[in-house]
Parts: sequence; structure tokens; C-alpha cells
Amino acid sequence: MSSNEKKIALSVRNLHIFYRGLKKTSIRSSWMRLKDKVEIFEALKGVSFDLEEGKILGIIGKNGSGKSTMLRAIAGIFSPDEGTIDLHGRRVSLLSIGVGFNKKLTGRENIYLSGMLLGFSEEQIAEKEKEITDFADIGKFIDRPVKTYSSGMYSKLAFAITAILETDIMLIDEVLSVGDQRFKEKSYNKMKELISDETRTVVIVSHSLSTIEELCDEVLWLNDGEVIEQGDPEEILPRYMEFMKSKKKK
Amino acid sequence: MNKFFSNIRKYHKYAIRSAKAELKSEVADSYLNWLWWIIEPVCFMLIYTFIFGYVFHNKTPYFASFVFIGLTAWDFFNRMVKGSVRLIVSNRDLVKKVYIPKYILLLAKSYTYLFKMGISMVITFCLMFAQGVHLSWHILFFIPITIILYVLTFGIGMILMNYGVTVNDLSNLINVFLRMVFYLSGVFYNINERLAGTLCFVLLRVNPIAMIMNEFRRTMLYNQLPSFKWLAAWLIIALILNAIGIHLIHKNENSYAKVI
Repeated sequence: MSSNEKKIALSVRNLHIFYRGLKKTSIRSSWMRLKDKVEIFEALKGVSFDLEEGKILGIIGKNGSGKSTMLRAIAGIFSPDEGTIDLHGRRVSLLSIGVGFNKKLTGRENIYLSGMLLGFSEEQIAEKEKEITDFADIGKFIDRPVKTYSSGMYSKLAFAITAILETDIMLIDEVLSVGDQRFKEKSYNKMKELISDETRTVVIVSHSLSTIEELCDEVLWLNDGEVIEQGDPEEILPRYMEFMKSKKKK
Repeated sequence: MNKFFSNIRKYHKYAIRSAKAELKSEVADSYLNWLWWIIEPVCFMLIYTFIFGYVFHNKTPYFASFVFIGLTAWDFFNRMVKGSVRLIVSNRDLVKKVYIPKYILLLAKSYTYLFKMGISMVITFCLMFAQGVHLSWHILFFIPITIILYVLTFGIGMILMNYGVTVNDLSNLINVFLRMVFYLSGVFYNINERLAGTLCFVLLRVNPIAMIMNEFRRTMLYNQLPSFKWLAAWLIIALILNAIGIHLIHKNENSYAKVI
């Protein structure tokens, strides 16, 4: 790589995540468990990778290979047990639906609640409010309590909030398919538009290889918490499919 | 500690909005709406005043106001303690999806309780006026006493919130404990009259909520100066509890999502 290469947006170094330590317990069982050994499950076993600014990375791997754990770790919901995650000062958000919604309040009020929870200021949200309500396209319902919404309207509004209030690094756990056919297309296109932005870095977790193939510039293949390969989708996806097939035969 | 204050600054507006949202949604679908915030404490006051004033012949002066002051302080303490134990679990969806400093959740909750306490305080003043309590400038001491109550419960709340995540039956234990403290705090009787000697001293000093209730009553009803020494002592303890709570939450908050 030459020195005028693009900036690195995200560096993960030797990332380990364990599920242990804070284990659910009750007062009774904590007396008894003193003798027992605590079971440790290692979800990520020393993952390292870099991602350049503006790139779209797809993470693939079978169930339980640590994909979602990694996304949550990058989003700051888990802290690394070992290793580091460096975002180089960028803002990150996990694209997720309906965070912090209060169902008894109107859609409009929920835009603010959800947006502020994602770290935006009131003024920033006020600026984007029109755009969000237009995109959600649920008409008069925006001023009615969310509990009166159909599930389609609910996800439309939720998607509109996360899609329009954008951060530098977006993490997407399973590309969303919400609403009716028309909205699905619209949201898919919006998503494409969002992630193909030059400066936006995106990490996508998906089981749909066609989605990954279409959207991503780079693929990271995880298996049992370890990186198998990172690189060009065209090279890795066939090998991954081969691997999954051989698993099935067993 | 700096992290705590910068987080509070950053998320303060969210906490306020979230508190408002919760209050709004609380009354959104009940017919009497916000009137419940007034009716509820008044009804409880009437019940306690009737039972302990008439049935048990309590001769404490201004008994209705006396009970109401106790209830105001107790309700705030009780709600905070009960609310904090299950706070993380009841916000499961949120905790699993975004990062937010966890004491912000407690802060938002505390604002809703503080608001209700404010209403309760206003009713108290009305009641005191109606009962012809002699008012003096001592009444202003309710402000610093309220602050100490708030800081103390916030510290306890943070610690309980942390352990409430991992210890399943902490809320059962806390319920029993709260009931005990409720009866020991003299919400509806005057500890000074009913008990004497060491027990009275211990109950009124070692039990912070009884101490705070007593100080409220002394300054608001009986025109006395508060006991600065004990208020200061509990303020120091409260600050230590806060420091412990902040430390626990900073240390563990990123693992909560793994457990719930």
C-alpha cells in the first residue's frame, strides 16, 4: 500500500470477548456456586482487522461465529475483554429498529427520544425532522401514539429515524426488510445510497450472500470467533459457500 | 469522576426529555390524567391520618401535615430504590442496542420521581396553611434537606442498579427491606414520642430516611433548626455511596448487555 492510501476508519486489534464473570445468579445459588468453576465462553478469539474510510465490509459466518457480538463490541455496547477497538474519533451507531420508543407517545415525540438516544442534539434532530417524517411516509399517524401503528408503520418510522440520522460508521445487523413491497424497495435504495457515500464506513452482518455480494467492497469471514479470511468478496464468497456445503454433508 | 460529569452534561437533555415522555405516557390513557398525581398522595395521607390519628389516638400536633411530609419523603426514597433494582432489566431493549451511560437511565427516572415529589411538596404547603401551621423562615431548609435526600438515594440507586443486573432475587430482598424501613421510619408516628433512649437515637440517626423525615418536620412544622452535624454526616456518606456507584457502573456497564 502506498502512503497516500485512504485513511483507516476502524481498527480492531486482537479482540477477545468472553461471556462470563457477570453471570446471572440468585442469592441462594451464589452460596452454592462458590465451589464450582465458572464456565467461560469465548465468543471472539483474537480478531484483528482494519477498515478504510468509505469501505463497506460484510461479515459472514455460520450461526454463533461471533458476528453480532463483534458488531455490538464496535458499537460500544460490550467492552473488549482483551484487545482494542479504535474508531479514530468517529461516531458509530448500530442501525437498529425502534430504540427507546415509548409506545404511548406520538411518532413525532419518538423521533426526538430515539434520536437523542443515538447521541444527536435536539437542534440536529429538528433540522432533520421533516426529512424523517417524509421518508417514513405514514401521514397523519406521525402525530398519533405509536401503539396505534401497524407493525409496518412502526418499522417504517423506526427505519426512517436511523437511516436519516446518520453517523460516520454505520453498523447493520441483517439488512432490514420492513414494510410493504414499495417501502422495502425504497428503504433498500436508501440504504444503498447511505452506504455508498464516499466518507461513510459501513459494516454489515448478513446471512444473505447475494446482499453481501451486491453491497460490499470487502468481506470478513468469521468462524468460531476467529478470522478465516478477509478480502475481496469475489474470492471469498465461493470458498465460503464451499465450506458451508461441506458442513452440511457431515 | 470527570467522565461522570461530562456524561451527565452530554445526556442531560435526553434524561429530561425521557422523563417528560414517561410522565406523559403515564397519564396518556387514564381518564383522570394528571389529577392522579394529586389524588393518590392525598388519599394515602387521609388513610394514614384516619387510622393512626383517630383509631390509634395520635396526639402529634398538625398530624395530617406531619404524615404528609413523611409520605412525601418516603415515596421518593421508595420509588427510587424500587425502580433502580430492575432498571437495567426493564430497559433491556435499549441496553442491548445502544450505548448509553447507565446512570443516565437512573437520572431520567429520578426526574420523574422528583417531579412527583414536587407536587407532593406543594400539597404539603397547602395542607400546612389549611391547618394553620405557624410558618417561619426555617421552612426554607427543606431545599438543602431535599438535595441531601436526592444525592443519597441516587447513590443507593446506582449501587442497587448494578447488582440488580446480576442478582435475580435482589428485588424480593429489597421489598422486604423497604417494608421494614417504612415501619421503622416513623412515617405515621413520631419516633421521638413513641421511643426513648438508645433505640430512638439509633433509629433517627442511623436510618437516613427517618433522619431526613425528622429534619423536614422539625424545620417545616416546628420552626426548629435542623441538626447540621447529622445532615453533614449523611451528605458525606451519600457522596461516598455515589463514588462507589459511579465506579461500579463504569466498571461493569459494558457487560450488562451480556447478562440480561
